[in-house]
Amino acid sequence: MTSPFSDEKPSSAARRIRMTVNGVAVEAVAEPRTTLVDFLRGDLGLGGTHVGCEHGVCGACTILLEGRTVRACLMLAVQADGARLTTIEGLGRDGVLHPIQQAFVDEHGLQCGFCTPGFLLSVHELLEQNPDPSDEEIRDFLGGHLCRCTGYKTILRSVRLAARRLRETKAAVAAHAEASS
Amino acid sequence: MTGGIPKTIADLPTSKARYIGERVPRVEDQMLVSGRAEFIDNATLPGMLHGAILRSPFAHARIVRIDTSRARALPGVFAVVTGEDARATTAPLGTIPDGWGVHCLAVDKARFVGEPVAAVAATSRALAEDALEQIDVEYEPLPAVVDAFEALKPGAPLLLEEKGSNVVLHKQFRWGDVDAAFRDADRVVREKLRWNRLGANPMETFGVIAQWDPSEATLTCRGSYQTQGYMALGISAVLQIPAHKVRVISHPHGGSFGGKGGMRGTCIAAMLSRQADGRPVKWIEDRMEYLVGGAGQAWDRHYEAALALRSDGRFTGLHVTLLDDLGGTPEGAGAISAAKPLASFTGCYTIPVAAYDLTLVLTNKLPTGPYRGMGPPPHNWVLEHLVDTAARELGIDPGEIRRRNFIAKDRFPYEIATGNEYDSGDYEAALDRVLEMSDYRRLREEQAQARAEGRLVGIGLVSTIEPGVFDWNAYAIVGVPMTGVPEGATVSIDLFGKIVVKVGFSLEGQGQYTVAAQLLADYFGVELGDVRVVAQDSLSAPPHFGPGGSRLGVALTGAVLGAAERVKAKLVRAAAHLLQADPGVVVLRDGRLEVPGVPGAEMTVAQVAAVMLTRSDLLPPDLEPSPEATCVWTAPGRTPADADGRAKSYLTAANACHIVRVEIDAETGQVTIDGYWIADDCGVRLNPANVEGMIQGGVAQGVGAALLEEYVYDADGQPLTSTFADYLLPTISDVPIPETAAIVTPSPFTPLGAKGVGEGAMHTTPAAVLCAINDALAPLGVQATETPASPHRLWKLLESARSHAKSNR
Repeated sequence: MTSPFSDEKPSSAARRIRMTVNGVAVEAVAEPRTTLVDFLRGDLGLGGTHVGCEHGVCGACTILLEGRTVRACLMLAVQADGARLTTIEGLGRDGVLHPIQQAFVDEHGLQCGFCTPGFLLSVHELLEQNPDPSDEEIRDFLGGHLCRCTGYKTILRSVRLAARRLRETKAAVAAHAEASS
Repeated sequence: MTGGIPKTIADLPTSKARYIGERVPRVEDQMLVSGRAEFIDNATLPGMLHGAILRSPFAHARIVRIDTSRARALPGVFAVVTGEDARATTAPLGTIPDGWGVHCLAVDKARFVGEPVAAVAATSRALAEDALEQIDVEYEPLPAVVDAFEALKPGAPLLLEEKGSNVVLHKQFRWGDVDAAFRDADRVVREKLRWNRLGANPMETFGVIAQWDPSEATLTCRGSYQTQGYMALGISAVLQIPAHKVRVISHPHGGSFGGKGGMRGTCIAAMLSRQADGRPVKWIEDRMEYLVGGAGQAWDRHYEAALALRSDGRFTGLHVTLLDDLGGTPEGAGAISAAKPLASFTGCYTIPVAAYDLTLVLTNKLPTGPYRGMGPPPHNWVLEHLVDTAARELGIDPGEIRRRNFIAKDRFPYEIATGNEYDSGDYEAALDRVLEMSDYRRLREEQAQARAEGRLVGIGLVSTIEPGVFDWNAYAIVGVPMTGVPEGATVSIDLFGKIVVKVGFSLEGQGQYTVAAQLLADYFGVELGDVRVVAQDSLSAPPHFGPGGSRLGVALTGAVLGAAERVKAKLVRAAAHLLQADPGVVVLRDGRLEVPGVPGAEMTVAQVAAVMLTRSDLLPPDLEPSPEATCVWTAPGRTPADADGRAKSYLTAANACHIVRVEIDAETGQVTIDGYWIADDCGVRLNPANVEGMIQGGVAQGVGAALLEEYVYDADGQPLTSTFADYLLPTISDVPIPETAAIVTPSPFTPLGAKGVGEGAMHTTPAAVLCAINDALAPLGVQATETPASPHRLWKLLESARSHAKSNR
């Protein structure tokens, strides 16, 4: 994975940008025409954000910008100057999966796995906003993601499982806090 | 070979299978959910350049002149190739049938919009695309032929002038006395049906990094290849390099469904690398390129079909006429898709005689390629549509007319009219189950009530065969000469008792690595995590094909268990020597080699393997010190095809019965699927969760085929569906979640009794949904005879029915 502009000398229009990606401060020079997804993949080496259509329909390149999902193929890198981003590499760490990732494993919520990182980040946003979504709410929220393998059944199940586990964890933490106060 | 391969799960050397047959989470997933899989666009090589391809904007045009001088002069551009380079250094692309190939870059003329005309390698993709804009191509547009019937006419524009015709193949097959069957029939139902182009569209497009080694004259291609060894042969032929000098490395890829392609892209990238003195060249197809110029279009078909029957509803003959529009060239194996229906031509039914009038024609559109199901999905729709029409005309329930014609469960193995043999089945069991699950009687009552209220409610009931474990001999009628599809695996046990299995394919989504791990964990009595599956490249792996034709689960099981049996034989000999026992009395059970009835006479697999690898002094002198073995499996008992294509081809015949309930909005033509029930029999399920994933994925693609997906070209051959805003894939809100049941009729011919299921519901769902729609429309006297049954098509039908009703008033 390389930047579409690797090896090129920066043009006079190139801009220095700074952002925080998965908790790490980064600073780099980006061409005005570089998309955010190409920047993440090419300049930062974060290959988990996949490019499926490059025109904003498939959702594979979804990341979080200030906690909200965006399509990294529809944004320019320079537009993310100063922003706080989370990609799939920031969801689980060092082999320990985030509960949403674990739920997708447990429920066979993926086949080829190419669309999966985008789904996972959207589910993250959904469950932050709505810890107990109905099937209709899940469908509404994930309607902008295409998966060609699963037929979505196990994705729905994965989201339900992740939601339940996250709620249970939250309740356990709250009970523990109450008991120790 | 199936000699010693266990025939059932109970035959495995374990007291109780812990993994095989269970819903085991996939070993592939940790990496995939973490975004760490090395999809091809995540790979980088030192000194790598980036390719971009200039494509024809015309459907048919003479290339008068190409001037690449300005592109070559750009700093950072290292290679520019055109059709002249292709003519000078490469052979035409292989085709099926043979002999219709063009070069990977258009020479003299372009035959479809999106055909590669020139390509650039530069230090970045952006610069390569900038350079494309500096290439001047002078085209002389030619009349294009876009419609298949027009392409047949004398005087039509010719795709390959030297052939004198656009007809690639025209053959008539008569399996039995079809004329007599139709002459003697009580009734004949006929229909013209149109299946429009659609295709795979995996979420990842094709990509490659090609690297030419000028010192060794070898080529290495890394890419998202579905079938690396098969691709290596094709690349070797096109680039005129001996096959052993081509190494193809398949990376994990983001789905394929047959539609990954990559031959042109690979050959172009290789040409660029060679011109750039061996610097690696990456080319990643973008989605627009995939949609207009990739391997994502299949099955552009015009059918006329007839079913002969007796007044009691028994079918006596089937006649299918197919005009299949292959597009610009037969390079994409679209012809195979026209041949494969022979493997299940007459479906689940005892239709004694059949006819097939097959015409393959070229037009100025993208060459068609494989897609999940490889041809039967449209054929099944045609057959099931005729069956429904017959039921309607005779006043017999759709379930009942099918039941009367089913191959009875005691008649297997059963040879169908077109020569293939079905291994086993119980079609009535699947039908009964799905009737019960859906509460079919109630569905019909509710439909009657809805109709009384003026609502358009329809119920589809179809029963289909999924031919599994493909064999090349199934495609003899379009010129494929082979029989057998070898698939190999090498199983090794290390000195700690851990197991590595090497295979010749990469991750694609079906969970085959998990199946291999399940098999070996149970066979040698270890944990799932003690087995690692390793992909080897085309030169390193044993003979292989990889995923395709609903085959790999069965073939891999054969190869893995065959190799395990051979490893076991070595372990038994070593253990017998160490235990001072006769090899004939040593058995493998639950991870131990033991002499039953002799307490203490046992060693673990790890102990024996360690001795083999580290203490040759303790081994019998003639025993190879290697707890490793390879087995290459191919389906047993396959026969070469006769002149009419009859052969024992696909080894297994899975069966599914689907019931679908739809409602059509009378004002808009919008279809809502509000009930769906499936009973599926694919034999023994090695990992039921994987199987259910294949079925549900097939339902989604089937719904896309029935309702949404269509490649549209205008009269000049311009593609109108070049984004995902135009080519509509089903979303999470479009796909129903059926209630499902498993029927298990083991295959008597396969390891463990499993059948092919990877293409699954794609065989059944399009027919089921379309039959439901036509059931809804039946009272209006109109029928949907073209796919997809999109709102605008159904609205037009409804309008015609309304105006017809008015004029009759």
